[in-house]
Amino acid sequence: MLIVKDLSIERLDKKIFENINLSLSAGNITILKGKNGSGKTTLIKAILNLLEPSFGSIYWKGKLLKKNLYDFYNHVTYIGDTTSSLRKLTIRDNVNIWKKFFISKINEAQIETALKTLKLDNYLDKKVGTLSFGETKKLEFLRLIIENKNVWILDEPLSNLDEDSIELMKQTFEDHCSKEGSIIFSSHQNPGIYVTEEIQL
Amino acid sequence: MNFLNKIIFFYYREYKLNMSGVQDILTNIIFFFISIFIFIFSIGPDKETISIIGVGILWTLLLLSSTLSLRKFYQDDFENGNLLIIHLNGFSFGFIAILKTFSHFVFVQVPFLLSIPIACILLNIANDKLFYLFASFGIGSLILSCLGSISSSMNLMNQRNFLLGSVVVMIFSVPVIIFSVGIINMQESFNSLINILFGILLIVFAINPWASGLCLKLSLENN
Repeated sequence: MLIVKDLSIERLDKKIFENINLSLSAGNITILKGKNGSGKTTLIKAILNLLEPSFGSIYWKGKLLKKNLYDFYNHVTYIGDTTSSLRKLTIRDNVNIWKKFFISKINEAQIETALKTLKLDNYLDKKVGTLSFGETKKLEFLRLIIENKNVWILDEPLSNLDEDSIELMKQTFEDHCSKEGSIIFSSHQNPGIYVTEEIQL
Repeated sequence: MNFLNKIIFFYYREYKLNMSGVQDILTNIIFFFISIFIFIFSIGPDKETISIIGVGILWTLLLLSSTLSLRKFYQDDFENGNLLIIHLNGFSFGFIAILKTFSHFVFVQVPFLLSIPIACILLNIANDKLFYLFASFGIGSLILSCLGSISSSMNLMNQRNFLLGSVVVMIFSVPVIIFSVGIINMQESFNSLINILFGILLIVFAINPWASGLCLKLSLENN
């Protein structure tokens, strides 16, 4: 589905990384590993077509990503290192906005189950700004369920999560891959998640 | 159909967001009225003088008040990553700029438009000028929203100096002020002046998605 071929990126005459190759098929998990500043987020930006590569190319379903961009976006959910939920609104409002804006086909019962699994069901009418960082991060993962797309691109999804939440993420990843989904995520280390490809940056 | 629904729900999101921060809109309106009072107190009780310079005061304050809200134009959505998520949901950066400009017009400029009759009473502006004021402000405020979109998207690339964006709006809004005030004071030239104002609107409306979209893309690239 997604192929990254000989990708190199330079910014302000500084080489961030070079000759990165990556191939993501249905049911695969790819981890981007590296220290702070090694270029994990830069690679994700390049995959999302926010950065122009200095060399190399990215293909989506056999076509150059640029020529097939909005089809790619239709299949991708991205979760960055910031929390996109609106802090002034309640969890319920955020969920409603996401459901409508992403034209989600997920029903109420599925969302309720996801909220219970994430242990957020008791805070539905609480403003997001009053939640802890870990809870806000878990709310962010709800977007993966609501958007219901098959490629997940996640930037440092495991940071600031407790052990239970990391375990939950592992199961969610496995569930997603068993349904022909695929995942690219960046992390400093891999806390035991089964990955099909490891890219060291 | 899906795309149309996405646009509708984009505005639903903007509505919820603006209603949760309704105090910001009220603060702008309060700033506008307090500034009018300050002008009145500093000029003195002479009704004639206030009436003559009233339209100019009104337009200057409308410009300053709408500049106050520029910081919020893209900043929040940029910082919390929503700008990128909206883009990934199928909206080009240029189209996001158009949607945001209309959102700014509806949620920031329209409340000013509605408060103009009260401001006219305070500034002793004759009732027969009200129509011209609404017409000029209706078009002028949309121009200010377009300029605001360009300057605040530029500000995302220059986080250190917010005032620079406001200065850009101020400079480019000079022709808007000239023709808008002209419409009210020279009602016999209404048609020609409103056409010029409309022409300026078309120019900034054409430039806005291109300039703002590019700035949004560059700021996300360099973030």
